[in-house]
Amino acid sequence: MKTVVRRLSGHLLRGLAMIWVVTTLSFVIIRNIPGDPVRGQYEKLIEQGMSPDQAERSTAALYGFLPTGSLWDQYTDYLNGLLHGNLGQSLSTPGTGVATLIGSAAKWTILPVLGGTLLSFLLGVTLGVYAAIKRSGKLGDALAISGSLLHGIPQYVIGLLVVAVFSTLWPILPAGGPVDIDFAPGFNGPYIASLIQHATLPVLTYALASYGGWILAMKSSVATVLGDDFIMAAELRGMSRGILFRYIARNAILPLFTILALSLGLLFGGAIFIESIFNYPGLGLLLVNSIGARDYALMGGTFLVLTVAIVVANIAADLLYAVIDPRVRKGAEA
Amino acid sequence: MTRTSAPGVRVKDLTVVYKTPAGELPALGGVSLSLAPGTITGIVGESGSGKSTLALSLLNAVQPPGRIKEGVVEIDGLGDVVKLTGEELRRARGRQVGYVFQAAQNSLNPLKTVGKQLLDLGRSHDFDDLPALLKDARALLGRMGLDGGRVLDSYQHELSGGMRQRVGIMFALVLNAHLVVLDEPTTALDMITQAAILKIVRDVHHERGLTTLIITHDMGVAAEVTDSLAVMYGGRVVEHGPTTEVLGSPRHPYTKGLIRAIPRLSGDIDEARALPGRPPTLGTIPKQGCVFRERCPLRIAVCDTVDPEPITRDARTVACHAVGRLATPVVPKEYV
Repeated sequence: MKTVVRRLSGHLLRGLAMIWVVTTLSFVIIRNIPGDPVRGQYEKLIEQGMSPDQAERSTAALYGFLPTGSLWDQYTDYLNGLLHGNLGQSLSTPGTGVATLIGSAAKWTILPVLGGTLLSFLLGVTLGVYAAIKRSGKLGDALAISGSLLHGIPQYVIGLLVVAVFSTLWPILPAGGPVDIDFAPGFNGPYIASLIQHATLPVLTYALASYGGWILAMKSSVATVLGDDFIMAAELRGMSRGILFRYIARNAILPLFTILALSLGLLFGGAIFIESIFNYPGLGLLLVNSIGARDYALMGGTFLVLTVAIVVANIAADLLYAVIDPRVRKGAEA
Repeated sequence: MTRTSAPGVRVKDLTVVYKTPAGELPALGGVSLSLAPGTITGIVGESGSGKSTLALSLLNAVQPPGRIKEGVVEIDGLGDVVKLTGEELRRARGRQVGYVFQAAQNSLNPLKTVGKQLLDLGRSHDFDDLPALLKDARALLGRMGLDGGRVLDSYQHELSGGMRQRVGIMFALVLNAHLVVLDEPTTALDMITQAAILKIVRDVHHERGLTTLIITHDMGVAAEVTDSLAVMYGGRVVEHGPTTEVLGSPRHPYTKGLIRAIPRLSGDIDEARALPGRPPTLGTIPKQGCVFRERCPLRIAVCDTVDPEPITRDARTVACHAVGRLATPVVPKEYV
């Protein structure tokens, strides 16, 4: 128990340091993107004949803060805000907190992307086992080829193809937006049906785009385990098929857990292309729009959320690994 | 079912082929070999001579792309193993024939403790009394000088090479199999552990009344533990007989060469003569004639065209044209 606590605290310290480094870097980079909207507004007001004082006050009233101060002052203010759980005010949507924007975008990202990730993981892993066992047969080849092919096609091409097929050629599903505005939000049948309808294509696209990676990873992992001595040993000891299958599956899926945990962390980056194609107001779209609008605070906020998510996912993967692999567990205690 | 006594094993004309791009190549070319009940038989030979393939054939477990093309492997109480399939075959493995692996160092699932894998084994073979199985395993491990309780609670990576080997032997014996096949049980172990393992094998063999087959390329190991010894070359058994006789007065030129190649502790290292040439691989085994002729000092004309039949005389079997000629009246094995 003591070792677990020590391990966890080590992870947390390193994670915090990592988050601080990324925050600082993204702050510096973001502030150096040309085109400062606050200064733009301030200068526009002066051009319109306002005195600098007036212009400053007016801009401050609009954005909720003063556009003055050195980069260092702004940096310390920003960090201070973060430590108090304040992600700052959005510039492109004046008067709204970054946290609020991220929160409302997150709900449109997490469920579809989570659904897509889990769907493709389950599908890819199951078919990957099959592809490995039948790897000298036609079906195994076909599965592996489908994996390579889908793995090779970029997400946005798959997205456009899916739209072309299911919304244009054979219009059975809506191509854009998260939900029909005709229905009152809430826990009622039509609204939920509309949600699911709109989520189907993005989830499908996401699943298709990542399924290839899973099937290939699982296939090679299973093929490696199948060649391990202990599998043949178990077979020659007359272990039943079920037990043999569990031996193979558990050993083969081990390396995939790390990838899964990391992709669950990346989930908070949203799926930029997919959300753009389907006009889905998730985190990816929010990030793209914030960059277009030079919304420093919002950019910083989305980067921060993504960073934290990945760091947490990493720690979770590491701890999870210790639970499922006794070699790691003992190694850490020794 | 002959559960309580040691089974005899009769391998007849066993041919095992491996599928390669160059067609099906024979790893075993019509091997015949009998294991007398209750004896320890050794098989020696260079790498690639077909030792392991023969051992796997006893469990009908030749791995693809290999397959048993023809022949019979008859085990008392099981019948012809080559004909067993599916569940019948699975149940015979482990229960009737115990197998200790060449790579026994890695013969355990790294994610489960030895005890849990033992329970998996028990369930696979429908053991109702699992606590008794654990008790047997602990006793066996204790018999081999290990702390049974501790070992059952351990993962593979917590055990040393010698301990893993003993665990492998425990797995082969715990279901009370009376035919035990050990494929290079002491390879990769230090000399002291090696001696300890061999002693265990011999002791357990006598205590339990087993029929044991040991595959090795170590003549010392063969000399130490086996009652009878078969020498393999190029997928054939070229000589077979009581160990002391085979080693003391080898008849086949290959056996002679092998023994001459062993360096002695006392004496000049230069007295050890390496066999000239190299052993055939799957692809270079001659299609006709004697497989050893290229390296043979006794080569005669007939060797190029006719594969020598194993001839049995005075409990010794030799497959060699030249030796057959030199020897006094030969009785073909059919009449023995």
